[in-house]
Amino acid sequence: TGGHTTEILRLLSCLSESYSPRHYVLADSDKMSEAKIRSFEQKKAETFSKSQFTLDRIPRSREVRQSWISSVVTTLYSILYSLPLTYKRKPDLILCNGPGTCVPICVSAFLLGLLRIKRTIIVYVESICRVETLSLSGKILYYFSDYFIVQWPDLKKRYPKSVYLGRVV
Amino acid sequence: FRFKDSLADDLQSADLVISHAGAGSCLETLEKGKPLIVVINDKLMDNHQLELAKQLHRDGYVLYCNCSTLVETLQSMDLSTLKPFPPGQPEKFASFLDKVLGFQ
Repeated sequence: TGGHTTEILRLLSCLSESYSPRHYVLADSDKMSEAKIRSFEQKKAETFSKSQFTLDRIPRSREVRQSWISSVVTTLYSILYSLPLTYKRKPDLILCNGPGTCVPICVSAFLLGLLRIKRTIIVYVESICRVETLSLSGKILYYFSDYFIVQWPDLKKRYPKSVYLGRVV
Repeated sequence: FRFKDSLADDLQSADLVISHAGAGSCLETLEKGKPLIVVINDKLMDNHQLELAKQLHRDGYVLYCNCSTLVETLQSMDLSTLKPFPPGQPEKFASFLDKVLGFQ
């Protein structure tokens, strides 16, 4: 969604063509991100004609301020929905930065790893908005991710397993 | 206007920006080098939006206030105290990821 998409596209901006093909996963209710992504990929394709990407949508895990109990149900539903998608794409690397959408994808990748079907490296970059506290996705993925990147020093102190590279977006 | 695809042109021609504390708005404004006053709406916002506004203010990049103190802030502001905002460095992220994946 919105800010998350802008941030993640900035993170992608300096990545080499080795990071290809790129598979984007959006929430079904997200109306604005698709245009931003297509515009980004179009520019990429101008420099690298073999550039490839795909775009999929999954049910949104949780609406803002949705209650705990119903969030668990909707997130479980999103995880079930994501499993076949993650299985199909079998990504080597998952890069995410905080929207609820990333949790089902990362959890399904983690499960596929446990089942020895595909080992995916999960890299989570907490949003630049998060200076002192982690987002809910961050709190969950701190334990599931291989690399957890924070953009402010206070968070590095509180979450010692995280990586601090300064502001990256 | 309600929604535009991009505020880039409006930002470019502005001398001062007054905005809510959304990260996108703040960062886009700061990156264009425009002075920014962030207005916090206590009733509407999640606390986490405050974190960024407060930090940006602490670091001297923005002024901030709430709806009721906006007029006062506008009257007494000194924009020359605001520091220029250094851009983020996605290249550091790219190097880190290259190392992690063994692309070098």
